[in-house]
Amino acid sequence: MNIIQLSDSALVSLYIAGNEQAFELLVSRHKNKVYTTILLIVKNTDTAEDLVQDTFIKAIHTMKSGRYNEEGKFSSWICRIAHNLAIDYFRKEKRSPMINIEDGSNIFNHLTFSEESIESLQIKEETHERLRELIQQLPEAQKEVLIMRHYADMSFQEIAETTGVSINTALGRMRYALINLRKKLTNSNIAYDQNLYSK
Amino acid sequence: MTKIFTQNELLQYVYNELESNTQALLEANLIFDQQLAEECAELLLAKASLNQIEMGPGEKTVNAILNYSRNLSLQL
Repeated sequence: MNIIQLSDSALVSLYIAGNEQAFELLVSRHKNKVYTTILLIVKNTDTAEDLVQDTFIKAIHTMKSGRYNEEGKFSSWICRIAHNLAIDYFRKEKRSPMINIEDGSNIFNHLTFSEESIESLQIKEETHERLRELIQQLPEAQKEVLIMRHYADMSFQEIAETTGVSINTALGRMRYALINLRKKLTNSNIAYDQNLYSK
Repeated sequence: MTKIFTQNELLQYVYNELESNTQALLEANLIFDQQLAEECAELLLAKASLNQIEMGPGEKTVNAILNYSRNLSLQL
């Protein structure tokens, strides 16, 4: 069986048995969620990079020492480590651990491209840049839910609990965020086409 | 059985958060409810556009983690 198709639980077992490729896959699958979970709290990309390393190093030692508890999902476990480290960072820094993305520009400056073919790279870069700008323009509450759900992969229930609102409010904010983005993207495309063909 | 779906339920469907029986019911409704299908398509398209970019740690950080693991394995 291809290792890529294996569950997280199976990969953990392989890793403990000495298979480094299994660990690479685990990192590949969960690095973005771990990073986003931390970044939402610390709001600083350099700190987030450091804490991502700390998170996985802690996970490595737990797994290699046989202390990994197979109950529950690997994803939830690694994100709990990440969350705790981010909170610890705040305690050391004596700062409030409230999630606040007012400084969203720093977060969005660090968005990276998904791995795709290199053809049409320039057009894609322009599209991605426009998308980043449109996300930036969303109201803070909508932007916060959008990042948590889409990039941090938190459930709407988790978002509601984290932000202190009802699940219906979280859902409503996300829906408005998506509708706003869709409208802006559509308008943006129409304007682009008119510029191309009107003369 | 006919059910009127809320906009929030539609969003939960788009993000795979509906229970399987509710999901099956919604998918059945999508076949004959054109407005519901259009609204669903708009949300799916918006979601797909977000997939073009991702947030994650840099390559240097990932390599540092993998190297740490490899070095530790060699020591054990």
